[in-house]
Amino acid sequence: MKNISLKSNQCIATCPACGLLCDDILLENNQNVIKVMANGCAKSIPFFEQKLNDATPRIAGEPATLAQALARAAQILKQAQQPLFTGLSTDVAGFRAIYNLAQKTSGIHQQNMQHMNAASTARNIRVLQSTGWQTTTLTEVKNRADVIVCIGSDIVSHNPRFFERFVDVDGMFISAKNRQLIVLGESKNNGVIKSDALEAAWILPCRADDLPSVTIALRALVAGKPLKATEVAGIKVSDLQSVADKLKAAKYAVLAWVSKDFDYPHAELTIQNITETVAILNQTTRAAGLALGGSDGDTSANNANTWLSGFALNNDTIEHDCVVWVNSFNAEKLPPNTDKPLIVLGNTNCQFETTPDVFIPTAKPGLDCSGTLFRVDSSVILPLKKLRENNLPTLSEVVSGIEALL
Amino acid sequence: MITLLKNGKLYDPAHNKDGVVEDIYIRNGHIIAKPISAEKINQTFDLTGKVVMAGAIDMHSHIGGGKVNIARMMLPEFQETRGYSEPEAHICTPNCSHNATPNTTDTGFRYIEMGYTAAFEPAIMPINARQAHLEMADTPMIDKGGYAMLGNDDYFLRLLSSGADQKAINDYVAWTLHATQAIGIKVVNPGGISAFKFNQRRLNLDENNVHYQVTPRDILKSLSRAVNELGIAKPLHVHCNNLGAAGNFQTTLDTMGASDGLPMHLTHVQFHSYGTEGDKKFSSAAAQIAEALNKNKHITADVGQILFGQTVTTSGDSMMQHLNARHANPKKSVIMDIECDAGCGVVPFKYRDQNYVNALQWAIGLELFLSVEDPWRIFLTTDHPNGAPFTSYPHLIRLLMDKSFRNEAFAKLNLDAQAMSNLTSLNREYSLYEIAIMTRAGAAKLIGLNNCGHLGAGAQADITVYTDNPDREAMFAKPDYVFKNGELVVKDGKVVKVVWGATHVVKPAFDIAVEVDLKKYFDKYHTIQLDNYKINNNEIHDNGRGKIVTHSKGE
Repeated sequence: MKNISLKSNQCIATCPACGLLCDDILLENNQNVIKVMANGCAKSIPFFEQKLNDATPRIAGEPATLAQALARAAQILKQAQQPLFTGLSTDVAGFRAIYNLAQKTSGIHQQNMQHMNAASTARNIRVLQSTGWQTTTLTEVKNRADVIVCIGSDIVSHNPRFFERFVDVDGMFISAKNRQLIVLGESKNNGVIKSDALEAAWILPCRADDLPSVTIALRALVAGKPLKATEVAGIKVSDLQSVADKLKAAKYAVLAWVSKDFDYPHAELTIQNITETVAILNQTTRAAGLALGGSDGDTSANNANTWLSGFALNNDTIEHDCVVWVNSFNAEKLPPNTDKPLIVLGNTNCQFETTPDVFIPTAKPGLDCSGTLFRVDSSVILPLKKLRENNLPTLSEVVSGIEALL
Repeated sequence: MITLLKNGKLYDPAHNKDGVVEDIYIRNGHIIAKPISAEKINQTFDLTGKVVMAGAIDMHSHIGGGKVNIARMMLPEFQETRGYSEPEAHICTPNCSHNATPNTTDTGFRYIEMGYTAAFEPAIMPINARQAHLEMADTPMIDKGGYAMLGNDDYFLRLLSSGADQKAINDYVAWTLHATQAIGIKVVNPGGISAFKFNQRRLNLDENNVHYQVTPRDILKSLSRAVNELGIAKPLHVHCNNLGAAGNFQTTLDTMGASDGLPMHLTHVQFHSYGTEGDKKFSSAAAQIAEALNKNKHITADVGQILFGQTVTTSGDSMMQHLNARHANPKKSVIMDIECDAGCGVVPFKYRDQNYVNALQWAIGLELFLSVEDPWRIFLTTDHPNGAPFTSYPHLIRLLMDKSFRNEAFAKLNLDAQAMSNLTSLNREYSLYEIAIMTRAGAAKLIGLNNCGHLGAGAQADITVYTDNPDREAMFAKPDYVFKNGELVVKDGKVVKVVWGATHVVKPAFDIAVEVDLKKYFDKYHTIQLDNYKINNNEIHDNGRGKIVTHSKGE
């Protein structure tokens, strides 16, 4: 960020809306209304500019005091045998609080927490727990990556500023014009994202469910195993061979993916094809995997759960008789459809299909209160700022209010 | 409110007390001189016949931060499920583990139950320091702190290779200590983690990093001088080049000379004491390393003992861990390049007593312990979890204190390994006084914790009380009492009260103008704002649960 003089109502903030955690967002606050002035994107602008909205807690849709809502939530939790804590969209402090509440109200040896992104996170975790991987982080990509292969999609629908911040810029050891970008998969950029790299990219289109065969073919070619086929899922094997050659000739190749793009059974095997391709490359040159995406505090929740419990968050089916839905960041994410009692803690703008038994609006970390969040590469952890005046309680305050009544 | 610990046998090397029977008085969390007789004693513990030491300090244990959490995440099979009773049940989850990858609650509980009252994370990657402190904030019972890793970060290597003056290096090192809330500086495979990113696979002490054209020796010289000139107590913490490689003892010997006589600490030196003799081209060089340690008074070392069983190695040394990954058991590993700052390698290991190399590694560690003469310069570690989980310390202490126990264990090893070790000819048995030096007084002196590791007036009242038992493993596994800041927190080896310890740091003075160039570098090459890199005190205070204790030399 260049030295710019900020007006008294301006500040530079960190954006929790996707896994990149851009911390260069220029904001202006006029009468408690936030406007993104620079470095915004399709995810950050709706986040920062969302309305504060009504902070009144509700019981079965009717306005209630905070004390009444806490009492009702505690009552539901006391009656429940197996509450499920899900959504879990919050920052580290919020997660710690909800983790403690989940432990106190769980049956013995009951895993009762699940993040809203559990399915996509689990695809990566399965690879980590099966073979491990060789990966890198965003600053390394910016400064070293000379060949970048995006597998599954062109990333921008998940991380809008990925190319602007890490690829279309000169790094310490590579200039932007010398990078080669290859996309194996669907191009989802609708023209909104302007990127030199994307414009110059070599795109080998294929459908998501063809990725298992495309990635295994690429893995075989990088390993030096000839293929009898001349085409895989519509892609010429000679083109894949050319991708393999570029990877082998690269000084620092990066193979990036977003596990959310791999929404089909056993998608972990696709990811493993990518990470094992990296492992083969690393026998002779340097290469690294890069898992992108990340949203709704999923990386933070997974890390905090891991140091607190010893385990990564799971994606199992969890039997339950009550649902606690925690959703701080993205109000459009809906709680699971349930006929069980539903407690919602989160964003004032939360939307519902069915009216929750209790809804307690809480402060959004990075907007209504300060906080701490993990970036998608897990290595960088950034503080979030409080940006506007409000009287919303934090998730930790609400949880301790409930705990006091249990 | 005064607590009296009456009639204990004190092992307090900081005050030359070797089993002296004395009373200890505690007020407001500290040890005080005997109060005037009019003052009321509120609580008395009769410690007649008991062994009393300061709380133990682990000066090198991977207890928090990115690579530790990757190990937990990668190895769910390490976790063990067991129900807990009060008060542990308050914060311990049904999933607490007791092995190589304990969760944070478990880490604190297992340490305090063995009479350890502080542990230091030796490899805080500056960019990842916030995670290390978040994890340590969730680690109850003990004090903590850490060493920030430098020497493979591109900012430092650019300074060094461009011939920056020592003042610029010193300012950057001091700035890093502040920004990361650390108490020391560590260098891992000097220059090697960076070299691996340029596809170098090994780096010797006098070999150039191919891009920066500086050698590990240049890095060690520059960083050891910075640490010395900044006046912090903890010498540069050095993980030598060539970790785990046969023949690496020569690198280790040469490294001792790299600082031109300035203090350096060589860590987990067992992993760096390997020769190439014998049919298997892998041998013990413990004798050479120990002889050099005895001679070079400016060098301290910790051992990094291995013990047999399943564990996981978590290291910043991505270069050597990438090589070691072929020995992974179970067969999986994580290797990472991180943020132009450093890297990491997480590789599970199963050390087996019938494996030639593993058996010899075990013997090499013990040979080092028994051959280094000055217990003030050698420290008891397993490089948790790399050589073994820290929970195996009582077993290791018995191996050091009990020759027949040691020799019986040796006799069960791989026979080829036995033939290559002189362990049974080493008759030394550590005394309680020497154990107290290694695990208390020496560790406190090394790190610069002037108020810990001893039992004199003014000390923080972290005190461990044992029943003298010829079975030293049983004795050190289960203290009768542990006091943390004067409060009774463990009774008969079980936690009776949950407390939260402090974070120990140093904050040497520096020229804030260092931030002018740093800010340019961050804006151009980094991916976060400079201000967000720095951890402020409030983040550690954590709403009153945490506390920062700042040390200065000779305070």
